[in-house]
Amino acid sequence: METEARRYTPVATLAGRGTAAEFKRSLSGVAVGAGRVIHALGDGEVRVFDANGGVTRAWKAPEQAACLTVAPDGRVLIGLPGRVEIFSATGSRVGGFAAGQAGEPADVTAVKVVRDNVLVADANARLVRRYDATGVERGLIGNRHKTGSFMLPNGSLDIDVDAAGAVYATDTGRHQVTSWTLDGAPIAAFGKFGQTRPEDFVGCCNPVNLAVAPDGCVVTAEKVAARVKVFGPDRALLAVIGKEHFDPMCIHIHLAVDLNGRIVAADPVRRTITIFGRS
Amino acid sequence: MSETSTRRKFIDTTCRVVGFAALGGIGTILTTRASAHAVFQVDSLKCTSCDLCRTSCVLSLSAVKAVNEFSKCGYCMLCPAYMDVTSAPDEKGVPSGRVCPQDAIKRRVVGKEDLDDPNNNYYEYTVDEARCTGCGKCIKACKPPFGNGSLRLEIRYDRCVTCNECSIQIACPESAIVRVPAPGLSPLVTHGETANG
Repeated sequence: METEARRYTPVATLAGRGTAAEFKRSLSGVAVGAGRVIHALGDGEVRVFDANGGVTRAWKAPEQAACLTVAPDGRVLIGLPGRVEIFSATGSRVGGFAAGQAGEPADVTAVKVVRDNVLVADANARLVRRYDATGVERGLIGNRHKTGSFMLPNGSLDIDVDAAGAVYATDTGRHQVTSWTLDGAPIAAFGKFGQTRPEDFVGCCNPVNLAVAPDGCVVTAEKVAARVKVFGPDRALLAVIGKEHFDPMCIHIHLAVDLNGRIVAADPVRRTITIFGRS
Repeated sequence: MSETSTRRKFIDTTCRVVGFAALGGIGTILTTRASAHAVFQVDSLKCTSCDLCRTSCVLSLSAVKAVNEFSKCGYCMLCPAYMDVTSAPDEKGVPSGRVCPQDAIKRRVVGKEDLDDPNNNYYEYTVDEARCTGCGKCIKACKPPFGNGSLRLEIRYDRCVTCNECSIQIACPESAIVRVPAPGLSPLVTHGETANG
């Protein structure tokens, strides 16, 4: 099912079965760094891919690594239970800090960097924690909801940041994408539960992942009907990348968007990374 | 052969026979005791919720019941095991149909209820065992990727009559009814948590 406004087709597959870069056990995160360099987290390591899908470098990830992001300066930040570890672009550990509260470590399901802030999605507290570069907590995002937090029945929270610094977060129990200022003030929200209209989100808790494109479009991923949707800056549905591209048992499709607007989607069940471009 | 040697051989043989008999007896007692303390249970990793638990039990209302493992439950507002998400929505946009044909799954709001927007509520789901037939429809609906997989079928020992041969075990195509040491699997959780509230 695809709308007429935009059409995306697969233009490349990384880490496919039988390739040298194949992930044999796990694939739990994907990010795009400067120069469209794709980083992926899986099989207990970080792998950096070149434009042809070859692995240019790899290094061992911390135990229980759950997610990763690439900062504008090329550093790689990895989230794991209760911590964020920071690596140089070449894989040397350059720092890290504890995330969460005393006795309640963060369940870190996403990490992003915006200016001098590190944003940590804490699915345990159902909030986004904003830290400075040294790990000092500066504030919370999501606590100004009526309920005091995001609704996350599936136990996962994904975030991204747009060019202006607005923070986008999945609010899966409400079937919404929400946006916030860095100070935690709500900006907007869109999405609702529905079974028939393609712009609605199905199931108990969706969308499960998101990414913000450079042009302001919001890309979402859903489970149950494993698919990816692209919403325009006015939040009108522009495209649906159909479920034929993903394993039906996916409960996550990790997303990133490169500077050219190509969508990078990591399917953790098939353990493949597919790049979708506009056609 | 001397008389002493014959007597010694007799005593030796007698001791061996008595020893073997004692060992055999102890083994039999232990086996019987172990069997008496083994019970039938559903192996949730093998179970496909095929509906045979409902129809094969010797009891008119099967001893197999759905149970909710609260530590896994998402306390969803839109619980796919509770409501038929394909059914027509009500005035608040919530699907009006139910998955359970017996209406055996009950829910209550955890904490203070937001009457204006049900999306702001977490719900605790429990099974009314007097109604549950063990059909497994809710278990199927809760399986990932639809739900968190917190529901499973379980033989309830306050209902099971511990047949010598379990008729469900005979019928089960997946060999999912297994013998486990009493009192069965891990202690059942019978009350919800309020951690999500």
